[in-house]
Amino acid sequence: MIERAIELVRARAATGDALWRRAERTSVTFESGRLKSCAATEETGVNLRVLVDGRMGVAGTTADDADDLVARAVASAALGELVPITFPGTAPLPDISTFSSPAADAPLERLTAIGTELVSRVSREGCQVSVTIEREVAQTRVVNTAGTDAGYRTSTVVVGIDLSRFAGDDVLFVSDQYAGAGLPVAADLDALVRSIDDRYTPAVRVVTPPEGSLTVVFTPSGLSAILLPLEQALSGKTVLQGISPLGAKTGERVFDERFSLYDDPLVPGHPASRPCDDEGTPSRRLPLIERGVVRGFVYDLETAARAQAASTGHGARGTFGKPHIAYSSLIVGKREAGRGTGGFGGGLLHGITDGLLIDDLIGVGQGNVIGGAFSHPVALAYRVERGAITGRVKEAAVAGNVYDLLGRIGDFGTDGRWLGNRWTASLLLEGVSVARR
Amino acid sequence: MKDRLAAALQTSRADYTEIRVEHTWSSAVSFRGARLESATAGEDRGGFVRALHDGCGWGIAAFTSLDELPAMVRRATELSRAVRLDRPIRLAPVAPVTAEALLDLDGDVRGVPLAEKKRLLEGYNGEMLAVPGVVDTQAVYRDEVTEYWFTNSEGTSLHELRPEITLSGTAIARRNGTIEKGLESIGLRQGWRGAQQQAAGFGAAARRAAALLDAPSVKGGAYPVVLDNELAGVFIHEAFGHLSEADFVYENPQAREMMTLGRRFGRAVLNVGDNGAAPGLRGTLPYDDEGTPTQDTPLIREGILVGRLHSRETAATLGERPTGNARAISFRHAPIVRMTNTYIANGTGTFADLIRDIKLGVYACSAFGGQTLLENFSFTAAYGHMIRDGAVAELVKDVVLAGSLFQTLDRIERLAGDFRWNQMGGGCGKGGQFPLPVTEGAPHVRIEQALIGGDVPA
Repeated sequence: MIERAIELVRARAATGDALWRRAERTSVTFESGRLKSCAATEETGVNLRVLVDGRMGVAGTTADDADDLVARAVASAALGELVPITFPGTAPLPDISTFSSPAADAPLERLTAIGTELVSRVSREGCQVSVTIEREVAQTRVVNTAGTDAGYRTSTVVVGIDLSRFAGDDVLFVSDQYAGAGLPVAADLDALVRSIDDRYTPAVRVVTPPEGSLTVVFTPSGLSAILLPLEQALSGKTVLQGISPLGAKTGERVFDERFSLYDDPLVPGHPASRPCDDEGTPSRRLPLIERGVVRGFVYDLETAARAQAASTGHGARGTFGKPHIAYSSLIVGKREAGRGTGGFGGGLLHGITDGLLIDDLIGVGQGNVIGGAFSHPVALAYRVERGAITGRVKEAAVAGNVYDLLGRIGDFGTDGRWLGNRWTASLLLEGVSVARR
Repeated sequence: MKDRLAAALQTSRADYTEIRVEHTWSSAVSFRGARLESATAGEDRGGFVRALHDGCGWGIAAFTSLDELPAMVRRATELSRAVRLDRPIRLAPVAPVTAEALLDLDGDVRGVPLAEKKRLLEGYNGEMLAVPGVVDTQAVYRDEVTEYWFTNSEGTSLHELRPEITLSGTAIARRNGTIEKGLESIGLRQGWRGAQQQAAGFGAAARRAAALLDAPSVKGGAYPVVLDNELAGVFIHEAFGHLSEADFVYENPQAREMMTLGRRFGRAVLNVGDNGAAPGLRGTLPYDDEGTPTQDTPLIREGILVGRLHSRETAATLGERPTGNARAISFRHAPIVRMTNTYIANGTGTFADLIRDIKLGVYACSAFGGQTLLENFSFTAAYGHMIRDGAVAELVKDVVLAGSLFQTLDRIERLAGDFRWNQMGGGCGKGGQFPLPVTEGAPHVRIEQALIGGDVPA
């Protein structure tokens, strides 16, 4: 189907590229401690982009009809803008492991056994445990009229675990996940169980929140609110649009000199890794911020063409809609193999007289993210007094500006880990505004 | 298609089997600034099979290759048998129904050339770009028509045709380092005709973004707060609606205790419900994705919790009746308990009556977003006004409303008599299924006291 679509594009003396992806997903769901359902899904789709007389058109389909797909893409191009995209020619791709046969071939019973083990290890009186295990095996092909024909296989296993406790009107919710190309090994499951335990145990006691301009430790999951404005500001599209606060600051030191941020699609065995992006541009590790200095932005083919830059290999596309910019794996600081040893709080709590440890905030992504200012009530946070967690705080909100806060980082934790497509350790930030409700 | 589904159903050995097939034609146009981002049309089709053996769990197969229907039925029944349960899954009874529900397409979007859709959106986008101070815009037009078949082993067979259209605009105004935005969002279960004459809202959103450049941040603190119709609707959906979805409580005794029917949730002025059968709304459909007819379900009556939203499974577990709220965003997903058109019922009097005796308060309007984490919520209003001496005063920005659901519901003290449905785009997200078309409705709502964040003092 994809070859035929590209042939039809060539026959019209047009250029173009297409992505074909077939994914098979198997998932098992444990609801409130018991296995409730098993699901298998299979999806095949093609996304086609054409340039007809320099004008861009896009179409997608899950039906198996190349002629119709090309006709719709050409119709879309008739209205499209002029974009000087040059499709990448054949190039050697980096060799990167994205596929695990044991994961791809694991029978249903193997996936179910992981859930059964986790449920029994995490269950406790008065709490509900839900676990989902999802395994995806996918094949991807990117073909273009410049001769690129790249293909690769991926396997992804995601194990998610949620623990909830209701006591009167108090709701406590703790969750974590494993994600990898391979099945989780014993150490991965141990880490999940420990993580749930570390978050749950000190949360049972509710204490009054502190107030004022305080020292706050953000865990890897708590850092979402801090890193989101940077993710937006480092997109080539935001720069092109003239709304990135970092757009004109390449080469300038904007952040603490211990702060670095990379995008790395070549981490072996990580779900977001791939030899090329969805537009056929070979993958490479990209420095975004190095020792506090802004180094670069992420681009896909179209944004690069408009900005007279080169694609950094960050084009992503689904079956429908046009390709867009997306990060692969974001790495804060220097990544080490495996999980760090710092424990909950990353070893950063000992010097804190009175402050907060934040694991989750409410409303991240709402409002005016790109300016860097944030203000969120806490979802899961702990009071830290004289170097130790004294309990969970509920009625508190934190606020600040990430450009101020990341300008002077107090310290980096030793608990570096993956969380989704991001690797980071905990960060200790000074002068975060904490308000009590 | 009906015959193919019936034949595939015949091959199932499970005690209960359902098959859903969807064929969706869609198109989308988007502008960024004065530039067209894309104008594209897509075709999506696929099927979903769910099977249940007695004493076993759900087996599910979802697929894009419709030629393999019988194989997918086999796969779902095998997966069901792989799960053994000591407490079996039961489904509350629903009378079998055969229906053709071909909704009025209101100007079939499939017959409208893409160029015309581009022209329409270009006009709306132009309304925003024409406003002084606006430096960037995003405008999106989307439409779809879905042909839908559902059949189950109890004799239900449905064939539906559903239109949908959404329009959205974001205007970004900037002066030096200050960036503000204004939002317009429209979502209708209508066709091409529904997309016409919508320019005014786009212009208003852009003018608001520009006006916010000069507006001060609201001073954080506790105030009497009046929510406009839109924010009140978003509030009741996010903060209360999700807790009334029975899958949240049906396997969880502690949660069930929190949501015991008969518990007081608010004062006698408060009436809340969910109406999947309300005519002409985006969250409206004749049947849910289990073939249960939709209905108006009271959730809070005069302050007391009186009902919740159900699928057939949650209804059977709790010994209650299905409410027609089992919904899936597409054939890729299983139906789960979702809202449809959720509302706070009308009050009495005018908006002026509602604010007359407020000396100092906040009028919070429209929503940039909202999130709830069970009993805690945070909503970002698109803009607000101070209320001073009983009248609407200056424009303020950064109005973030945060608090505990139970406290806030209990502090709703008065409702105006100006109920309105908010036909917004976007949609609801839950369990990886986004965006589900829903609608919210409410009158102006006055909260005795609520915490307004925003300019949090350092």
